[in-house]
Amino acid sequence: MILLGLDTATTATVAGVLRADGSVVEVRDDPEPGVRPGHANRLLASAEEALERAGVGWEEVERLAVGVGPGSFTGLRIGIATARALAQARALPLVGVSSLEALARGAGEPPLVLAVLDARRGEAFAAAWRGGAPVLAAAALPPEALAERVRALPAPPLAVGDGAVRFRGPLEAAGALVPPDQDGVHRLRAEHVCRLGAAGKPTDRDALLPDYLREPDAVPRPR
Amino acid sequence: MILALETSCDDTCAAVVTRAGEIRANVISSQGVHDRYGGVVPEIASRHHLELVNTVVDDALARAGASLDDVELVAVTQGPGLVGALLVGVATAKGLAAARRLPLAPVDHLQGHVAATYLEPEPMEPPFLCLLASGGHTLLARVTEPGAYEVLGRTLDDAAGEAFDKGARLLGLPYPGGPALSKLAEAGDASAFDFPTAARVTGLDFSFAGLKTALLYAVRDLGEEETRRRAADLAASYEHAIVEGLILRVERALVAEPGARLALGGGVAANARLRERAAGLGVELKVPPSELCTDNAAMIASAARWVEPLPFPDYLGLDAYATRRAA
Ligand SMILES: [Zn+2]
Repeated sequence: MILLGLDTATTATVAGVLRADGSVVEVRDDPEPGVRPGHANRLLASAEEALERAGVGWEEVERLAVGVGPGSFTGLRIGIATARALAQARALPLVGVSSLEALARGAGEPPLVLAVLDARRGEAFAAAWRGGAPVLAAAALPPEALAERVRALPAPPLAVGDGAVRFRGPLEAAGALVPPDQDGVHRLRAEHVCRLGAAGKPTDRDALLPDYLREPDAVPRPR
Repeated sequence: MILALETSCDDTCAAVVTRAGEIRANVISSQGVHDRYGGVVPEIASRHHLELVNTVVDDALARAGASLDDVELVAVTQGPGLVGALLVGVATAKGLAAARRLPLAPVDHLQGHVAATYLEPEPMEPPFLCLLASGGHTLLARVTEPGAYEVLGRTLDDAAGEAFDKGARLLGLPYPGGPALSKLAEAGDASAFDFPTAARVTGLDFSFAGLKTALLYAVRDLGEEETRRRAADLAASYEHAIVEGLILRVERALVAEPGARLALGGGVAANARLRERAAGLGVELKVPPSELCTDNAAMIASAARWVEPLPFPDYLGLDAYATRRAA
């Protein structure tokens, strides 16, 4: 299957093309620390560049996959709006992929993997898998609660993602193994968005929405 | 045909318009969910735009009896507005255009309001003066050519629509307050209270902050019961002051440019009293129908006709902007 995969859940802008031979061409933009994510400027250009490098034309693309988060609200909306528009323009099936699961897939096959993204406001988005089966459902957690969940896991996990780097202290104290900060394992890869997308089931375009995991900050006015 | 999207605030809009300015479809999906928050909540607006945007596009194409194959140009509001909301429209427009190798026209929202004037039937062509008043903007512009306008005056504080909403809140009316306040004003005496029109602000700039404060004091001095009893008079006087504040600047501009023609735009242009006053100025007047005065995508398509379209792939990196860049 030839598939175009996108993800904007993290600060990175990630696009990739799964080719008929099973290989994946990735084009990504990882902003330097403190630099604003380039989702709005980079995503569509990266997708077109990935198609071009993969030698794939739009008429050959059979499916689209997009990371639904959790992650930054605006980033997720750019990714999903882009994917939905491309699906609409080309009448293509569309699959939503958990960005945490795509991140976890990049960790190889440890017995237990914990994917952790920096959710800002001092919190983490986290989920864990054992042999591909979920053992901790995605949740937004402050570091103390995250450490508690890690201690409750059946074995010490390998923790990956920018959130694993950010919360290295509490995670290691709770028994998790966190690879060095610069290890590429902390980055969400297009390859895993594409492979999860190829294995997943297409969803209704308009039902494909971000996995926000958080309510908007708004309180109804008392009447 | 031009397919246009507009998502700068809380309405998810798509339209199909011909190059000649004939509207084939103009779909506006008002979110309505913001009323209980007493104002537009940006994050909620953005979430709803994403839910609605593709169906609104489908709907516009279907109503136009067209398909994406008939679209030669995609247009989208690039700003100003709520950035998170704008980005949903911009990402969608870019994706639709890129996957079909169509050109894309980024449109300034205010230029869109001006360009509502050029839509069929009965378009008004430049030169004219244009009063734009809504919940988000209030300005008086001189339009000398279709693709551009020169700002003669703008609000120094609140937008006129914002003044309506804030006044309505002080009178205990539900959001959005403009229509509710105008309805209440129908039964009131506009001369009952003497509210300020910021006449001392010289030139063509607007100001509504003093008016809002004056209403606040009036409500406080009257007390709860008396405020309720005289609500219609308060509403009528308040509305009168907003309308006179707007008209005063138009009159000043007309002194400098006698014989100039006038167009109204923005949500406040739906206000009956403003329309009456503008009609009484003795100049040629154009007020587009209400659905073209409030935010809509037909006006964005109209404005796109005078924008140099970006060919593929020049727009792939296009971003939204919150505030108007230096012209
Ligand atoms: Zn507007």
